[in-house]
Amino acid sequence: MTVDVVTNVARVDTEPRIRSGMMRELNAAFAIAWREVLSAIRNPVSIVFTVIVPVIFMGILGGSISQNLGGALPYAYLPFMLIGMIANTLYQGTITGMTNLVEERENDFTAELFVAPISRYTVLIGKMLGSAIAAMISLIGVLSMIVIMQIPMDAGDLLRVLALAPILAVAGGALGILFIGFVNDPKVAGLGVVLLVFPQMFLSGALIPNASATGLLGVLSTLMPMTYSIDLARNIFYAGKPEYALAVLHPFWFDLLITAVVCIVFIVIGTTMFVRRDRNR
Amino acid sequence: MQNVIEVQNLVKRYKKANVNAVDSISFDVAQGELFAFLGPNGAGKTTTISILTTSLSKTSGVVTINGFDLDRQARDVRRSIGIIFQNPTIDLHLSAEENIRLHVALYGIYGYKPFYRMMPAEYRRRVERLAQIVGIDKELFKPLRTYSGGMKRKLEIIRSLMHRPGILFLDEPTSGLDPVSRASLWDYLREVRNEDGTTVFLTTHYLDEAEDADRVCVVDHGHIAMIGSPAHMKRELLERAIVVDAADRDGLLAELAALELRTALDPNGLIRIAYAADTAQSIIARIKTPLSVLRVHEPSLEEAYVELVSGSHEEARA
Repeated sequence: MTVDVVTNVARVDTEPRIRSGMMRELNAAFAIAWREVLSAIRNPVSIVFTVIVPVIFMGILGGSISQNLGGALPYAYLPFMLIGMIANTLYQGTITGMTNLVEERENDFTAELFVAPISRYTVLIGKMLGSAIAAMISLIGVLSMIVIMQIPMDAGDLLRVLALAPILAVAGGALGILFIGFVNDPKVAGLGVVLLVFPQMFLSGALIPNASATGLLGVLSTLMPMTYSIDLARNIFYAGKPEYALAVLHPFWFDLLITAVVCIVFIVIGTTMFVRRDRNR
Repeated sequence: MQNVIEVQNLVKRYKKANVNAVDSISFDVAQGELFAFLGPNGAGKTTTISILTTSLSKTSGVVTINGFDLDRQARDVRRSIGIIFQNPTIDLHLSAEENIRLHVALYGIYGYKPFYRMMPAEYRRRVERLAQIVGIDKELFKPLRTYSGGMKRKLEIIRSLMHRPGILFLDEPTSGLDPVSRASLWDYLREVRNEDGTTVFLTTHYLDEAEDADRVCVVDHGHIAMIGSPAHMKRELLERAIVVDAADRDGLLAELAALELRTALDPNGLIRIAYAADTAQSIIARIKTPLSVLRVHEPSLEEAYVELVSGSHEEARA
């Protein structure tokens, strides 16, 4: 270890190369998002989870519903379920990714992010985008079920739904941001995410059709933000098909409007609460 | 020398707490200074460092870092500082280089590229050379799970210095490290300070690390108990002493009494002669009785610290 070497290193100019404030924020958001993707694909538990969950829910539960109750529906159940589970996987994946922030804060990794000279909003947006991309990668498990369960599916229809994937993932991320805005204990977050994910999966029509839901279940189904995201995906998939009126709950623009408004409101409230609570201990 | 940290009447009271964690403390740190911020657990050290590094809001007071107001110019403050936290803040899913690449992107030093080879040649040269200096060049691209505690700390230091901060906050940087890792880490920090004139704000429980500090600030129960150079602190709190004994102990004691020197028996049963104004040499020169034991006791910062903190705790109990 010589002083000369250190001198050479120290003399390197480290003025920020990125002069524009906006570009610096975008650069940081991209870096945080990429880090999220790397963390997800390098985590064996997350990969196994990605494969097993679709097998359990689509293969066992969906398969059972299809065989025993599917005949009573006025449309093919398996494509209906597949579209629901695509939306559900994106939604859940991003919520889970955002919730990890609570654990990372406890483990102090986020300290590095929150002392960097960037906006707190950039940190959360970068994290959300990364979780969204990771969730899209995790669709591999769901899509492989098309082959395994021999679900009849037109490639064009599927591609149209997949084009909607970023919106669905961001919608899940927005709910995740709202959630972490109010929760700071990793154990509570772990339990809370289960309570956030599973009722939505069953009540928002991902697996089980909810068009006829009434009473309390009907109210809960209407309140679930994922109901509108899933319906948005089905709007795309069933557009121009005879079963559109039977399989889709709301018009496309209505689902899109609700999803956009909910996203903006959740992101603003969640980020404000998260940042305020983080500093105002 | 210009002050780069100025703290005036800083107060922090946590929500639902009955007492202030930091209670109206004021101090400043000059450019290039090694400033040791010491205190027992719960004294308010980490709270203070968290406020100064913008990760915790203060209740009241005025703080200026590198000329920037902590409240109104938090982003400029963050750009001016580097931080090594008490707990590691590296991402174990990434390699060492990926952690550094994320850091330089967060500070806007280089545009982020998903792959190392796509990063500018200047960045690659710099990272490889720094890794060589601290001895992690062979592990630069390996998962951090394979790193020892000392290597992780070195990585955090490289990372925190990538944006060349004027002020480096080190919150117990060597806790949990073995003595060899501690020594090598301090060698590196010393070189960085010598070359760059970086101001270092240090908290540590290893008092020997604070012996080289320009100034030491001891906090206890959220208050500043003492501030000054280590030598000043030792002088104020502890007596210097020589420890002697002789085969003719009675004769020695009689001679010391005749010389009007203050004596006492130390815990080992040896004769302790405290002195303030004189030097040890001037006392030894006056003793004629043949000595069987002669030791000059130079108090350490740790002894002074223990004296100060235990004294204030006894006062609090009384």
